[in-house]
Amino acid sequence: MGTTKAKTLSWKFKPLDPEMDRTELDPGSLTLPREDLIKLYRAMRMSRTFEHRLASLYRQGRVVGAVYLGMGQEAICAGVTSILDKDDYLSTVGRNLAAWFYRGVEPKHVLARWLGKDEQPCHGRDLGLFLADLNNFGIAPYHNGSMASWIPSGAGFALAFKMRKEPRVYVAFTGDGATSPGDFYEGLNFAAIHKLPLVVIIENNHFGYSTGNERQMPVENVADRAPAFNIPCEMAFGNCIFTVIQAARRAIDHARAGNGPYLVEYKTFRQRGHGEHDDASYVPKEMREYWEARDPVDLYTKYLLGKGGFSKEEIEAIDADCKGSMDEAVEYAEALPYPDPGTVTQGLFAP
Amino acid sequence: MPVITYLDAISHALREEMRRDPTVFLMGEDIGVFGGAFRITKGFLDEFGEERVIDTPIAESGFVGAACGAAIEGFRPVVEFQFADFIACAFDQIVNFSAKCHYRWGIPMPVVFRGPSGGGFRGGPFHSQNPEAWFTHVPGLKVVQPSTPYDAKGLLKAAIRDNNPVIYFEHKHLYRRVREDVPEEDFEVPIGVADVKREGDDLTIITYGSMVHECLEVAEKLSEDGTECEVIDLRTLVPLDKECFLESVRKTSKALVVHEAHLTSGFGGEVAAIIVEEAFESLDAPVKRIGSLDVPVPFSPPLEDAVLPTIEKIDTAARELLDY
Repeated sequence: MGTTKAKTLSWKFKPLDPEMDRTELDPGSLTLPREDLIKLYRAMRMSRTFEHRLASLYRQGRVVGAVYLGMGQEAICAGVTSILDKDDYLSTVGRNLAAWFYRGVEPKHVLARWLGKDEQPCHGRDLGLFLADLNNFGIAPYHNGSMASWIPSGAGFALAFKMRKEPRVYVAFTGDGATSPGDFYEGLNFAAIHKLPLVVIIENNHFGYSTGNERQMPVENVADRAPAFNIPCEMAFGNCIFTVIQAARRAIDHARAGNGPYLVEYKTFRQRGHGEHDDASYVPKEMREYWEARDPVDLYTKYLLGKGGFSKEEIEAIDADCKGSMDEAVEYAEALPYPDPGTVTQGLFAP
Repeated sequence: MPVITYLDAISHALREEMRRDPTVFLMGEDIGVFGGAFRITKGFLDEFGEERVIDTPIAESGFVGAACGAAIEGFRPVVEFQFADFIACAFDQIVNFSAKCHYRWGIPMPVVFRGPSGGGFRGGPFHSQNPEAWFTHVPGLKVVQPSTPYDAKGLLKAAIRDNNPVIYFEHKHLYRRVREDVPEEDFEVPIGVADVKREGDDLTIITYGSMVHECLEVAEKLSEDGTECEVIDLRTLVPLDKECFLESVRKTSKALVVHEAHLTSGFGGEVAAIIVEEAFESLDAPVKRIGSLDVPVPFSPPLEDAVLPTIEKIDTAARELLDY
């Protein structure tokens, strides 16, 4: 052993199955009104604009702690969230800004939390990448033990819906790396036994931090793990907003109808590192090029300007709006005070 | 008032709370059809149905996480760990999710985790532990440990009605051994209030859980010899009623802290530190601690007996302090 020199492992790149691959978007049988198309675009563009600015603030030392971005994955959470009912719940990871914006969370409040400022609802107690606000946005609290830790708690929310006979659904977003910890199995197992309305969305971006799928799981797809729960599962291209919505629609309808959990694996790509401290040098060049040619925001913009029938001016106006919101967010968040250290021991217990 | 066992008291508290409040439901391994490994929930399935008495898969992290979610969404789940030892499998959900939820988001999580704990049963390393100190170190969890049927019933009711995660350790050795009159009418034992189980002026013995009974026995023996020990049952470890034992130590000037959990980093160290910090001027002797030896709880009878605190060990320590 001692004399063998370790060979540097290079992560494998495999293009998408040709049937899944898209470089031009086509809504197929999906008909979305203009205002829905706009709302989706706005959420995705706002997310992209926000993350570019957040990364730049981080490099300027204006953000405390680390920064984690979801650039390249925006279509998934925007599309899935767009078909939820108002009283459905979702748990998101920090890469799901587009879901927050779709639900109406304001960019300035998100940025204030990233800066550790005295902002509702956590008042500086948690990182900007976490958000729980059930009353206003139906975004459920979860914790970062493992990235699977909110599959069991999601099953618990779904259990509550079922016990009260409410036609509500809980959607848990997480990643490929989260399908290895025990909580993934324990939560889905429980939900499947009791046919709970739990939809698990896996954004397979091919990396758990820096480690590729082949060192994360012995199966090629997360979907291959689903038979253990006897639940339906499907794979879809995560960078096409339309296929995202179509797959999510089947999953959510299934769960809402009382048929139990549903797993959707979206193939996608994380364009940045795990966090902004990570240069992602482990990503094979051809993999990056392949996926950057399938950027979800670019693909969708191209569709809107083409078959979507939107004018350049219309799209540019939204882009300018997003930039304006971001400028406002920076101004707001930087001016906001930090929380008062005198409050630090308050609220440990509920009254 | 009927005489009931500690086990009955737990069972009665659960049944009464489930009848009173439709949001209370139970989850755990073998609690439904089988009625629980210790038969605490015998007959519950028939009375309350399978939606409220849920037999879970043997996957603690999964059902604890589910309980936490349901608790946030307006239910009051009571989770039974078959043995407190198995709580380790759900450690992350308890310490990282339930303990921190209100502090992070202002969102209450009313959930109770019941853990049958303690040794003396030849249960070996994985069915005999007293894991309370794993949790008293985590801000955001309330930790209770009753020693009598009255306290067991009243504290469980208080725990179920509390809007926070409460870890309720029930000592298996007390289940059928201790019995007393317990009122049938509704009552609570407030969380965070210690109880003077015996008054005395010569020595304060601070304890909780099953060791309360050993300490009371020692106090009776010493009383025959003309010295009177005050025995304080903490009942709740978090939040801690420190004034109760500080007041006593200021009166007796001597303190002995006893628990069945391991000595090192056991909760007794916290109690001793508080006494030294806040009642140093009153002390006439060093604070003494007794706990299990710092090895896993072994199986074979002479080995287990050598590890656990005994009447003899407590008696010796008490006499040393009285003679100091």
